[in-house]
Amino acid sequence: MNHRGGLALIQSTWLSWMQHRSFFFLLAFGWMIPPLIYLFVWATAAGGGTAAGLTRGEFTAYYLVLILVNQLTYAQTNWTVGDIIRSGDLNRLLLYPMSPLYNTLATELAGKVVYMTFVIPVTGGLALLLRPDLHPSLTDVLAFVPALLFAWALRFLWGYWLALLAFWVTRADSLLAVQDALIFLLAGQVAPTTILPGLIRFAAVILPFRYMVGFPVEVLTGQLDRADLIAGFAAQIGWLVIAFVLYQVMWRRGVRRYTAIGG
Amino acid sequence: MRRYFRLIRVFIALSAQEEIAYRANFLVSALHSLLNFGTGLLGLVVLFDQVEAVHGWDYASTLAVLGVYLSVSALRGLFISPSLDSLVGMDGDIWRGEFDFTLIRPANTQFLASFRRWRLFALVDLALGLLVLGAALVQLNTALTGAQVITFLLTLCASVMVLYAVLLVFASLVFWNPGFLFTWVFDGLFQMARYPVGMYPGGLRLALTWIVPVGIITTVPARALTHDLPPGLLVGALVFAGTAVLIASILFRAGLGRYASASS
Repeated sequence: MNHRGGLALIQSTWLSWMQHRSFFFLLAFGWMIPPLIYLFVWATAAGGGTAAGLTRGEFTAYYLVLILVNQLTYAQTNWTVGDIIRSGDLNRLLLYPMSPLYNTLATELAGKVVYMTFVIPVTGGLALLLRPDLHPSLTDVLAFVPALLFAWALRFLWGYWLALLAFWVTRADSLLAVQDALIFLLAGQVAPTTILPGLIRFAAVILPFRYMVGFPVEVLTGQLDRADLIAGFAAQIGWLVIAFVLYQVMWRRGVRRYTAIGG
Repeated sequence: MRRYFRLIRVFIALSAQEEIAYRANFLVSALHSLLNFGTGLLGLVVLFDQVEAVHGWDYASTLAVLGVYLSVSALRGLFISPSLDSLVGMDGDIWRGEFDFTLIRPANTQFLASFRRWRLFALVDLALGLLVLGAALVQLNTALTGAQVITFLLTLCASVMVLYAVLLVFASLVFWNPGFLFTWVFDGLFQMARYPVGMYPGGLRLALTWIVPVGIITTVPARALTHDLPPGLLVGALVFAGTAVLIASILFRAGLGRYASASS
């Protein structure tokens, strides 16, 4: 495998994206709003006391971290994978002496760099304004880093295998919209998964979506005890393995089936 | 005037034909509508599972706000957004310079820009929005008076006018700064109208009422239905809506003067 070529591709993509930053800042702005709404609504609900056992400052901390994690893990490139397959652009990528996964990874990392130059200052400003109550211990921080990395890998690969369904179905990207809705509901956006009502909470713990966003946030804000933490990591790694296997199967079968249309 | 109604009929028919050609898209659109409806509703269920009321807004009255939000968004998706997006959106007529062809047509340019494209599927969204409103009324368990229904319809008109005016303003800004997707900024802020503005902190509440008036768009009609609306607020909303449309039209006209076409 040609890793050096992949790294060069990643860097050039990120530099070219920086030139269109106002466009990407707008996208990032739009993605920030839903968690921000729930930050305000829950903070108002808590008022001077608590709502569902959390104070205003704790909700603020939770959602500010969630905005960052959501942006870091959001795999927007999944949306273009289907387009590349449908339009026949994949031809060109298949000729490169490296896996087309690198191409997606390049846009993915480029996006992260560009979005973070917007999201970090904005969340920083909001933190000064809204005074979150965040005191992570050293173990919280140490556990947060792998939780975040796994969350990103899981969300990316999960979306990628869904997007690869474009080899068989033309409108496979509607499944990505379903995924976004499930993430909104089950991954801790509408409320921290620890305070979701019974059945929804059960679904959140079982299904992979919480481990793409909510879990690292819960780790950093110290909402989990040791048992929950270990169970969470186990579920995260388990789903990651499943997502990777699904990606491999989809890619091998799909690319064999692939014929480009048009000229 | 009659000519303009006939034009609207032609535009609707044309858009319908275009839409029907992509039958598989109906399923995808239906899926998106249901997701939007479901996540909105479950969001409220989750919130009010934990608390009784937020700043005086209980489940039923918040549900009414969501109902208005979904209905107004549906009306927006019916013609305002499709028309304006085909003008100033990504790859819209202004990006490609095809706006020239609109300018030379023998009809009012603002009229053409605002009504020329329709998305009839939005009627399904409208039905879902009205369903939520109905559910809110059942929850409230009060009989509606005729006066309340009339106030509600008036405020709903005002809210669609305000929404149109704001979108037109954001769209017009493109003439000063082509390439910047101003409507996307509004889209982000408009999502905040899902909840009553009373749930947001002080400064933001003021901004959401007067600068980006999403409060007038959803909170006021919902209030007209669930509480008694002070007559002053009704008059104020209507005057505000009229003024907003007027200012937006003036701005659009000023923007037209700056349009200098485009080439690749």
